[in-house]
Amino acid sequence: MAKAGIRQAPSLEAGRRRLAALLALPAWAFLIAVFALPILGAVWLSFRNETLGAFVPPRFVGLENYRTALADPRFWESIGTTLWLIVAGLAVQLPLGIGLALLLHRNLRGTALFRTVLIVPMLLTPVAVGLMWRFMLDTDFGIINWALGQLMERPPNWLGARWPARFAVVIVDSWLSVPFVMLMVLAALSSLPRGPAEAAAIDGAGPVQVFWFVTLPALVPVILVVVMIRVVDVVKLFDILFIVTQRGGPGTATQTLGLLTYNTGFIFFQISRAAALGVLLTLMLAPIYFLWRRVGRTP
Amino acid sequence: MRRAGVLASYLVLALAAFVALFPLFWTVSTSVKPRADTFAMPPRFFDFAPTMKNYEAIFATRGFAQIYLNTITITAASTLLCVAVSTLAAYALARAPRFRGRRPLEVGLILTRAVPTIVIMVPLFQIASRLGLYDNHLMLIGMYAAVNIPFATWLMTSFVGQVPLALEESAAVDGASAARILWFVVLPLILPGMAATTIFVALLTWNEFLIPVMLAGNSARTLPVFIAGFISARNLDWGPMAAASTLAIVPIALVTVLAQRMLVGGLSTGAVKG
Repeated sequence: MAKAGIRQAPSLEAGRRRLAALLALPAWAFLIAVFALPILGAVWLSFRNETLGAFVPPRFVGLENYRTALADPRFWESIGTTLWLIVAGLAVQLPLGIGLALLLHRNLRGTALFRTVLIVPMLLTPVAVGLMWRFMLDTDFGIINWALGQLMERPPNWLGARWPARFAVVIVDSWLSVPFVMLMVLAALSSLPRGPAEAAAIDGAGPVQVFWFVTLPALVPVILVVVMIRVVDVVKLFDILFIVTQRGGPGTATQTLGLLTYNTGFIFFQISRAAALGVLLTLMLAPIYFLWRRVGRTP
Repeated sequence: MRRAGVLASYLVLALAAFVALFPLFWTVSTSVKPRADTFAMPPRFFDFAPTMKNYEAIFATRGFAQIYLNTITITAASTLLCVAVSTLAAYALARAPRFRGRRPLEVGLILTRAVPTIVIMVPLFQIASRLGLYDNHLMLIGMYAAVNIPFATWLMTSFVGQVPLALEESAAVDGASAARILWFVVLPLILPGMAATTIFVALLTWNEFLIPVMLAGNSARTLPVFIAGFISARNLDWGPMAAASTLAIVPIALVTVLAQRMLVGGLSTGAVKG
């Protein structure tokens, strides 16, 4: 028996490896067909001057599309807008998400009900959510400005002016993603050992000190993961911007780089320029890829 | 002091719950309001005569039944495809520390999770229109499945990892082949995880907008594209729009209530691992 086991072990291991490689094949097929090849296609397109419904015969133009993009002030503005949505969004979402997770973690009576209710926003159809917020943020008929009108003289023209619109997008994006931050932090909290916090409390640390010096440092890994996922998701953000500010308006106030790519390709039909923007967008995420591998394997 | 803290916690949670639910309430209530009352100032919260007119208008829209049906069938097909493919890959990742192409697969999954969909849509739109795959159900099903594979694989990897390896080893000692072990030992144990993953992927698919808005024409149009169509109308028609939104959201609300433990459990598993 033992002898057979020794003889069998290597072949079992080899069989397992072969099986694993085989089982991964369908996933490979999808990744190659829907991501690898299209990205190569985007690179190829970006060196040409193709347009949708073109009358000019397309040809290779080298780096011209990249030069055009980098010389365009709207390109730099869109990067600024993307960064704004990331930074302002995280400034809202991290404190709220962590705070709500801490409250739920106290396990007061009724916590399960609150948890269910609070995760609802992240599950809803963003297009429907976007339309509803658009209605609620309407200057004349919106309920938000009606409520604000009771408190102040002139409530902001949310979707009609540059900075109010930029704040409006942060509000809607936060409404959708605070539940995500909350759930991730809540899961991390429930897997923390209770010992250190209790020891600190016995040593006379107040709740604020326990949170600041014991709990928060232990949450750093999950917060890093949340930040990375949020960065990627803001860069990918599309439906909310498409609906709430009608593709980045007013003017170009909320046009992120992703949206500029869409508008260039499918509103102005400059498909090759859009491809160049897409390639730049992908390259800009490079630091995230490396961080991601370091921090966790969470895709 | 302690009691005051508890009270404050409840107050904050109640406020958060109000903020989370109010837009939902407002959507549903707008969907059953007579047109004049949707624009009433001050807003009418409860004092209006509920009407089904907006829903009648939606159901009378040409092609609406087709759109709803499309959304259901495309979601179902691509979710099943995605979960099947992801479960196989997840089994490989969770159980074989080394195999040919393991590292590239891990990197590939992260890259595809991070690449904005718009980047791949630019060339795909051209390819699809040249190959006659524009407005094609199968194309949409494949695309939807692909974009959700990274997330589903990650979730399933942690579920497979929870199955004790000893079970598989003892089955192997008893002479079961790898395929038999996968089917008869592992599969029954990961079914709850597969169910949770299925629900998540189905939600993401149901809500997907960028892919169908670019690749679906009249015959494969889905609900989010239909709803988004309301803003291109010059006069925003809030009643029917709210009715259409409600029809998109109601199935999600049902799923959330019925499967809430599974959803929270599923995400928590992933979070701990991350």
